[in-house]
Amino acid sequence: MKLFSPIGLIALLMTAFCGAQDRIASEEFTYRDSEWPTGQEGFGWNGGWVLSGQRPALLVDGKENDAREILIQGTGERNNPLRRELSTAVRDPEIFVRFNFRYDPEKGSKTDDSEFFVMWFDRVDGGDRAVHSAGIPNIGIHVADQGPKKGKVVFIVRIGSDRTTWSTVDLERGQNYQVVARLSKTDPDERAAFDQLELWIDPKSEDRDKPAASVVQKNGVNFVRWIGFATGRKTEASDRILIDDLALSRSWNDVLDLSADKKQDPKKMTQQLPPSLWTETVSFKKDVYPLLKSKCFSCHKGANSDSGYRLDVRSEVLGYSTGDPLAIPGDGAGSKLFALTISEDPKKQMPPPEEGEHRLTPLESDLLRSWIDQGLEWDEKLLPEPNASSEHWSFQPVKRPKAPATAREAWVQTPVDAFIAAAQQEHQLEPAVEASRRTLIRRLSLDLTGLPPTPEEIETFISDPSETAYPDLVERLLESPHYGERWGRYWLDLARWSESHGYQHDIPRPYAWRYRDYVINSFNEDKPYDRFLKEQLAGDELQPRTDENLIATGFLAAARISGNQMDKKLQRNDVLVDIVNATSSAMLGLTLECAQCHNHKFDQLSQRDYYRMQAFFVDGQLGNLSLSDSDTPNPTNLEDWMSAGAYKFYMSEAGKLVKKKTFEHTTQAHTWGFHSPKTSAAGIERLPVVNRDPLPWYPEILKTAKARLLIRGEVSKPGPVIESGWPEVLGQNGDTEKESLTRTELAGWMSDPENPLVSRVWVNRIWQYHFGKGIVSTPGDFGIQGEAPSHPELLDWLASELMDNHWSSKHIHRLIVLSSTYKQRRIYSEANAAIDPDNTYLWNWPQRRLEAEAIRDSVLVATGEIKNEIGGPGVNPEAEEANLRRTVYLTQRRSEMPRVMKMFDGPEVISSCSHREVSTVALQPLYLLNSEFMKNRADALATKVKSLAGDDYPLRVKTAFERTLGRSPDAEENSHTLAMLTESSDPEAAFVHFCHALLNLNEFVYLN
Amino acid sequence: MKSHLNSCPNYRQAAAMPMSRRDMLQRSTLGMGSIALTAMLADQAGASPLAHRPAKAKNIIFLFMSGGPGQTDTFDPKPLLQKLDGQPVPESIAINVPKIPRSGVNSKLMASPFGFQKYGESGIEVSDLFPETGKMVDDLCVIRSMNHRIPVHGPGECIALTGTAVGDRPSMGAWMNYGLGNDSQNLPGFVVFLSNTTGPAPQRAGWGPGFLPAQYQGTVVDSKQGVPFTAMPSGYTGKNRREQLDYIKWMNERHLAQQGHDFELEARIASYELGYRMQTSAPETFDVSGENKATQKLYGMDEKHTAEFGKQCLMARRLVESGVRCIQLRNGGWDAHGSIESNHLARSRATDKPIAGLLKDLKQRGLLEETLVVWGGEFGRTPTTEGAATGKKRGRDHSPAGYSIWMAGGGVKGGQIIGATDELGYVPVDRPFSPADLHATMLHSLGLDQHSLTYEHKNRAEIPTVFGGEVIREVFG
Repeated sequence: MKLFSPIGLIALLMTAFCGAQDRIASEEFTYRDSEWPTGQEGFGWNGGWVLSGQRPALLVDGKENDAREILIQGTGERNNPLRRELSTAVRDPEIFVRFNFRYDPEKGSKTDDSEFFVMWFDRVDGGDRAVHSAGIPNIGIHVADQGPKKGKVVFIVRIGSDRTTWSTVDLERGQNYQVVARLSKTDPDERAAFDQLELWIDPKSEDRDKPAASVVQKNGVNFVRWIGFATGRKTEASDRILIDDLALSRSWNDVLDLSADKKQDPKKMTQQLPPSLWTETVSFKKDVYPLLKSKCFSCHKGANSDSGYRLDVRSEVLGYSTGDPLAIPGDGAGSKLFALTISEDPKKQMPPPEEGEHRLTPLESDLLRSWIDQGLEWDEKLLPEPNASSEHWSFQPVKRPKAPATAREAWVQTPVDAFIAAAQQEHQLEPAVEASRRTLIRRLSLDLTGLPPTPEEIETFISDPSETAYPDLVERLLESPHYGERWGRYWLDLARWSESHGYQHDIPRPYAWRYRDYVINSFNEDKPYDRFLKEQLAGDELQPRTDENLIATGFLAAARISGNQMDKKLQRNDVLVDIVNATSSAMLGLTLECAQCHNHKFDQLSQRDYYRMQAFFVDGQLGNLSLSDSDTPNPTNLEDWMSAGAYKFYMSEAGKLVKKKTFEHTTQAHTWGFHSPKTSAAGIERLPVVNRDPLPWYPEILKTAKARLLIRGEVSKPGPVIESGWPEVLGQNGDTEKESLTRTELAGWMSDPENPLVSRVWVNRIWQYHFGKGIVSTPGDFGIQGEAPSHPELLDWLASELMDNHWSSKHIHRLIVLSSTYKQRRIYSEANAAIDPDNTYLWNWPQRRLEAEAIRDSVLVATGEIKNEIGGPGVNPEAEEANLRRTVYLTQRRSEMPRVMKMFDGPEVISSCSHREVSTVALQPLYLLNSEFMKNRADALATKVKSLAGDDYPLRVKTAFERTLGRSPDAEENSHTLAMLTESSDPEAAFVHFCHALLNLNEFVYLN
Repeated sequence: MKSHLNSCPNYRQAAAMPMSRRDMLQRSTLGMGSIALTAMLADQAGASPLAHRPAKAKNIIFLFMSGGPGQTDTFDPKPLLQKLDGQPVPESIAINVPKIPRSGVNSKLMASPFGFQKYGESGIEVSDLFPETGKMVDDLCVIRSMNHRIPVHGPGECIALTGTAVGDRPSMGAWMNYGLGNDSQNLPGFVVFLSNTTGPAPQRAGWGPGFLPAQYQGTVVDSKQGVPFTAMPSGYTGKNRREQLDYIKWMNERHLAQQGHDFELEARIASYELGYRMQTSAPETFDVSGENKATQKLYGMDEKHTAEFGKQCLMARRLVESGVRCIQLRNGGWDAHGSIESNHLARSRATDKPIAGLLKDLKQRGLLEETLVVWGGEFGRTPTTEGAATGKKRGRDHSPAGYSIWMAGGGVKGGQIIGATDELGYVPVDRPFSPADLHATMLHSLGLDQHSLTYEHKNRAEIPTVFGGEVIREVFG
């Protein structure tokens, strides 16, 4: 340590003075003149202060006669008015800094003006206008972008500008502050990065563990040689920032001048508390309650308490929902509640000074302290734990309404129509007439199976004289194995399912296809929806153990895993967050992710609720899991399932692990699923996973893993242990403080008729997939920010029907597709459009473009080439020509989604997808006209038609129309088409082009 | 500021009928310029256009040297490195090297196998790898103090081109395409050429759309085949394709007439015409055979080594002339873990002349002032040798801790050097800049303010430089 700088005498003096060699540098600005001195004033610097040529800092008269303050003013852009090099680069594991600071605003400016000012710690100077941004620690003030202080100017810390932590300490203009910060390294190595920055405003000696703000960010700088002050765009020319008494040190005590006999600001003296005057047992009811009631409750009682702190609930006093306790039983002196009542800082003092008469007497403060010391006794009768409740419509239990009476009795074919008719009548809308049978069979086939009907099926249906022709068709299609391929795909979107890990590497998960088949089969069986959810949430726990149940956990296991995340806590937390977000979005229709870092702003969902949900999953891990049925085939021809690049990458990554003996290729049947060494049924073996930097797998650790509330959502700030449970506002958890609920119990709660969301969310989704838009048009957000239902009673009626009919999805389909509402024609009406331009009340069929899968599958049906086998490993999308299976079977690597899905708005495959967008861009027609795939299909269609119609051109045209559009050409189309073909110099080529054209028509790609 | 270009969460745009005109425009840009779209929307809804600032540049060509060219072998000469060849890194420098994997501080220093010469009036030193580019040095602003902390290619390219290592945010090219719009009615607004590389998965994020609508992503163009799907399949001629399109249009319009009125169907009809225009004009743009011999020679198209990259550089100029604003040329293979001498020689031989040709050609056509050209990789390379290789087999490992890039055109003040690394080229000792600073600077050059260019995604007004970054003002003099 080089303490003997050229200013030896002062250094010696300082060293002696500080009592330890902790001091790095200091500067009290005790200059006489208003000119900056040119020498080495202060201690620990290399050279003097460097001033900006843009607008330098000024020396102005300080408050005391012998000292000056430093005045810094803005330029409206980035400026570094004052900076200085330390005598040595500091690489210690921790550095403390302190300085005095005051912000005098421009006269007449509003106090809510944005302000900006920081002190930075860098390796280099960088000049007058350097931004000291990437990886550079900054402390200062800035307007909060988010959080409770959004829009306010508060003290901040950041390492790099990408992640700022806003303290809750408002900047009060004209106020003197002592700013203290600690910059530290998790890895004490000299070359390691400074990755944590904490900030205190006017701290007391005991505040070491209670910073006002803290940020953790890897990739900070690895040493500090220069420090400086910076202003920015938001610093105005007439703002006055005053700085004084700067010190850098290696210790908390030294930076606060607590060491030895350094003179102390009386304000910052450690409070030597006298023993409590309350020697007797404090009575909550008689002593504490009246005090809280008269002095605190006007602001800190009830759900909307100031700053989110409520004192009328014992658990909240203990930091229940935020992890940030106000009182620690047994430690009155160390509790925030007590400290605030005796604080001399007007900004902290509670009750606040403006509430003059509320100020606690020393005796009253002492009472609180003793109450906390004695264990925070409470009277639950007087102040019971509140029942979490909300008036929001979707959080209320489902009540089965009666179908409304309507004058349009003849129109009512299922009760669905009664609800629709009532709303239409209320809005004076007339429904459209019924569509033709030809339209209906096409609509119904595409809607229920994703495949268009063949000409033969159309003819059979149209000529069926039976009164039950339509219901019979509905039954036939619901029984088709292709129903599951269509409707299962919707669930796969919700499950963000894919066959790769995601992130940069996106390593394939070869056996994830079993979950895809599980979903398809479940829909085909009409598996009760509650059972379906249970298997996916807890299939590994269910007894007796079955492979089907284990495969179902592929829902949880569809989470992404980073392939090169070295921070294992972060890597694992990302997976847990993915699971909680997907589960709550897909099953509950809630945007729970907001509560990861703070209590939900709109919905009554607390941060604690978030980590309660997370707690269901902390004892489990994703992985390759052995199946028990020895007859289950385990094909290993991976090269046929994925692109050449993906296969090569997978094998090379696997090869590296094989070399390390941490992986081996296996023929043992397995699936990609979720497994808990603590709660899973016995006998499930976890096989190794190919991933360059895998999630750790230590069953012993998982068995005892506990969820912790992460304060502000930061992995580095674990709060209290949280037991599993669902959001309180949605129902009783039982005694969650003591008992941990299992995933099986979570699933049980999901299917409880009292659960207000699960049934509503699911019937709404079914409705949306039939009509393009849900009764609630925000299918993934049933919270307060979501849209209200267009037909609330219909939604509840359908939800009741679902639950009353063994959670049968097919039952709901029948109610919908048998209705007059569903069978309406697509027709525009000026009169209706003037009242309801968005067709919210379904006054005609809401035509929409087919999804990517249905477009490609329709093409393959038209050409007759489609291979209809169900299930099994996926098809390499680059080699689809060799295996023309349905699109749902094309392998879904996140970064290599099949071309048709990328072209026609397939899901993003990152988070749960509730609704696919429809975009119309010029590359789509180019794909349909010029791609090799479509060229081959046009040829195949022409060949097929020729084989059926020979050289009879009128018959060819008719056949081609029927195979693509499901109808014959009308007279005009017929003559126009025939003229085009016969007038061509090459009628055979023209015929192929005509077939190709049919596959491009709006009529072909729209669901009418 | 809330962008008016797209402000609706997906699900709120559920298929209603009829679509509003605004919805239709939002969802169907069909390759139309977003400026035009903006004007139409403004006309429609009184919305204000994107916050444009006076811009020098209208176009950007990013010459992305994937794999990581070594700074000490290209634009950052280090005489001390030549002296200390084979010796350990002096403690005084090693201690400043951040502790990131593969920093190479414990390996032996390796002198650059290439000499450096001073070029131009500015006398900036450029490695013998780039004799042609060196002649243009008075137009280049060399930044020697780039740095970040991601020592792996995929995430490194993501941070270099999207601003974050994760690769799920929009690429800068997509942001620029979104912000600038597309003056070409007939071509994608953001074109990417790959050479000596295939562009594996994570790297693709470098021209991906992130959460921006798909039409803003880079379209990878094979310099031999042109824009994807613009080549007609066998059996088609211009004439019979036109007849086919007329038939499609005739059928689609009959279908529409039966229904009354539907913006979505109308938009889809229009998309066929725009697709057709793209198909007909793209081959012309990409056909460089009509360029005179002197021009072809300028780009090195007459020599085997430079033919491919030269053609791409020439295409880039032609695209700029056609109104395409964002072009990325991704040249791979700079990852010289071993044999850096032969590796970098091969890479520079393929790219030096074409790049110099591009700069000269843009300049002589008066296009350089309005075209920002940026050269650089995802990181640099260690001043030390990797592993135990000796002699000609010596190479260097990845080093994001300090590396060089250059910029030219687009209002950039040429003939200057910004920033510096230490005496061995390890870490910046003056004006360190992050990729985000570079992004902010590129956007600024194009008249786009990083804070005003917003896109509403999941109820947040997203900006391109969400993880910080400031304009490097000295670049513009």
